[in-house]
Amino acid sequence: MWILLPIARMSIALPLLVGVGAMIGFLSGMFGVSGGFLLTPILMMIGIPPTVAAASDSCQIVAGASSGAAAHFRLGNVDVKLGITMLVGGLAGGWIGVQIIRVLRALGTADFAITVTYVLMLGGIGSYMFFESLSNLRRGTLVPKSYQASSGEGLLSRLPFQVDFPSSQVRHSLIVPLALGGIVGILAAIMGVGGGFIMLPMMVYLLRMPMHKAVGTSLFQILFTSAGVTFLQATTNHTVDLMLALLLAAGSTIGAQIGARLGRLLRGDQLKILLASIVLLVMIKMAVGLLMTPSLKITPARGL
Amino acid sequence: MSRRNPLLLTLPFLLLSLLAQTLAAVEPAKVEVTPSTVKTGTFYGGAKMRIAGMASAGNKIIVVVRGPSAARVFNKLGRVGPIWVNTGKVTISGAPSLLMIFSSAPLNACLNSAVLDQYQLDLASLKKQVQTDAKAEDRDRLAYDFLAFKAKQGDYRLNSVSVHLGAASPEGLPYSLDFQMPRSATSGKYQVSVLECRDGEVVNHADVELAVVEVGFPALIASMAREHSSFYGFISVIIAMAAGFGIDFVASHVFERKVAAH
Repeated sequence: MWILLPIARMSIALPLLVGVGAMIGFLSGMFGVSGGFLLTPILMMIGIPPTVAAASDSCQIVAGASSGAAAHFRLGNVDVKLGITMLVGGLAGGWIGVQIIRVLRALGTADFAITVTYVLMLGGIGSYMFFESLSNLRRGTLVPKSYQASSGEGLLSRLPFQVDFPSSQVRHSLIVPLALGGIVGILAAIMGVGGGFIMLPMMVYLLRMPMHKAVGTSLFQILFTSAGVTFLQATTNHTVDLMLALLLAAGSTIGAQIGARLGRLLRGDQLKILLASIVLLVMIKMAVGLLMTPSLKITPARGL
Repeated sequence: MSRRNPLLLTLPFLLLSLLAQTLAAVEPAKVEVTPSTVKTGTFYGGAKMRIAGMASAGNKIIVVVRGPSAARVFNKLGRVGPIWVNTGKVTISGAPSLLMIFSSAPLNACLNSAVLDQYQLDLASLKKQVQTDAKAEDRDRLAYDFLAFKAKQGDYRLNSVSVHLGAASPEGLPYSLDFQMPRSATSGKYQVSVLECRDGEVVNHADVELAVVEVGFPALIASMAREHSSFYGFISVIIAMAAGFGIDFVASHVFERKVAAH
């Protein structure tokens, strides 16, 4: 069965699309990551134009983050004050990111910029995860390294506008969550990712938030940042394919349930190495695409 | 009673017969395209098409399906250091958006090269049609890349011997063609041309219009995204949120039931 994607302007096999969503959901259920950083490159590989893939991925993340944030909100895991502060930064960052894409599209280099950003991000994250998990497996321990205060943390405490965030029992300058939200907003717009894979470690290690609060607040912030980015992409670049986003979300829901159950059968570092290998494979595929001489020296410039 | 010349008696019949033959020769070939309108709805993945009609006995048949010609913008790829990047844009126009050529015999057995060129049925004549706003020295390569791109996309299919000829009868020679309208066919007016060929020349031809129309949900989404982008962006967010909260609602109820059962 085929489905016509109205904004990507192509027909695609429905099982393939739902299957991709299910695979990403499976990974997110198994590894506890949103999977957005893998979804956009996979969509690009099956022929969806990069700008449409990134914008529709943001829309799909709205669905996934709504579900997760609602569940965490009921459990009291959302620090609303900190989340809203980060959200202000996130929306500003999202606006900057959308403008960057607009300029790059006018120059004809948006698709290239998205691909290169992905290669660099996937290469960095994949290598770090792979070698960290490998060294943990060699040491034969699953206990994570204990957190030690860094010199950067002292610097953060000297910044102005220090505010208490009682729900997370931390005190920080307003600049820190605003900047963190801003970085994630830019990434969300350019790469179509939620940014959880960057935000979560920073919230735990830099902002010293309890893990469960970090997960809930991160989802809360991602929900609204992605919603803002989706709206801006739709109005500025006209690249949000609602049909694509909803089908991916449907597949992702099913995959997440299966992944969560299978994930319990594997050890933490085994899971991490598996995920890192997938990330690195996707990165290599994209890098080869940039380096190999293309058979044709033209590519269609898409968008409405 | 005066005796009349027999030739004078038969002359009107001869003239009538000649007139009938002439009329038969110029009568357009009969063509029926089914369906006459292709609707690209939500589940469009190409459409099964049938073209059938009646030609004169002994003729070869060529069927050409030609899409509307529209300018299209492409990124030009160039090498910067070790990587391939977009180095600019180029607008390509003049060529049809879709071109499929089917025949009852190989094209060069149906028509001579001058006629193939006249009807733009071979690569060389198509290449001449392609216009670009690029520098003169790049035009030839860009035209070649454009034609290769269209062939790779499945938009150009230039030589398929798949027109089926039936047994000739006093009414003529029945022909039929079954083919798949590509998934990539965009909305617009397409032209179906049937050429009857003999001795390397076109002896008769007929044109029929085929409409491809975007309908249903994809048409609604595409027009909303173009014409009411703010509303479309807002609705996209609301629908995605509703889907997420709906999933959470279902999941929480299922989970609570399971807990209650334990």
